[in-house]
Amino acid sequence: MNWLTNWSPSWQWFHRLGSPRWFYQTTDRWLPWLSLMSLALLSTGLVWGLGFAPQDAKQGNSFRIIYLHVPVSFLALAGYYIMAIAGAIGLIWKMKLSYMLMKSAAPVGAALTFLALFTGAIWGKPTWGTYWVWDARVTSMLILLFLYLGVLALQYAFHSNEAGNKASAILALVGTANIPIIYKSVDWWYTLHQPATIKLTSAPSMHPDMFAPLLVMILGFYCFYTVTLFLFTRAEILRRERKSSWVKELALGGSAV
Amino acid sequence: MNFQFQSLEQLLAMDGHGPFVWTAVIVSVAVMLWLVIKPLAESRTALKEVTRDIARAANSQGGG
Repeated sequence: MNWLTNWSPSWQWFHRLGSPRWFYQTTDRWLPWLSLMSLALLSTGLVWGLGFAPQDAKQGNSFRIIYLHVPVSFLALAGYYIMAIAGAIGLIWKMKLSYMLMKSAAPVGAALTFLALFTGAIWGKPTWGTYWVWDARVTSMLILLFLYLGVLALQYAFHSNEAGNKASAILALVGTANIPIIYKSVDWWYTLHQPATIKLTSAPSMHPDMFAPLLVMILGFYCFYTVTLFLFTRAEILRRERKSSWVKELALGGSAV
Repeated sequence: MNFQFQSLEQLLAMDGHGPFVWTAVIVSVAVMLWLVIKPLAESRTALKEVTRDIARAANSQGGG
């Protein structure tokens, strides 16, 4: 490995980035701040959204579910990009850490997609009169959940860890075809699900008093996502690197991480 | 910006939408807690196993 890093100094950052030990050390410093930020943002946003934001003229108080439903769905989609990109980097540069990130993004993404579907179903009952409908948006989100679960399952379907990683990465990449379908589903098939509340290209279709807590919740969920992705990756690093000297030192209570 | 409800009962009831809103909140918080606790528990187990392996290796060396 030495000849590789010595070969060209400009590649050093790349190899350091791929080092599980470096990742473990760095996230150790970031995690307290990120956790604090997500806790502060999420609790502020939730109290603001549930108690202080004005009622929706048409939907009444059931609209308050938006403060969970929209951020959770945002991260369910963003998490899929992260998983697919990590898988691609793993396939191309055979980076161990990248596969670990991909593997860790799967349970987090699956949990958030489940929450997006669950909060959506609960919101659907008072608004649409039904918990479930085979609407284009809902169906494509269900496919997203199966893609996440598929990536998880493939990890355990092979005896060799490397074969499992490759198969998961390929499924993750093929599954990206579903992402534009999810985004566009509310415009292409105008069924029950309302069009997007927030678009990058135009002003939000929401009153600022309602929009501000939503923005706080979205920021909070981005921080929370990062925290959980780091935590799952760190657990995976400890399992995979258990034979290495730095993990042994860490286990024995040494601070020489 | 005002608090939208007159009492705790009203906050919980939310004009009949309370059960929906609060179920969404409780389930979300539960899933989020799981997302934090699960990897932390896994890390702890992994480190414990490493410690156990080191102790076992030291024992077998001492005995042999």
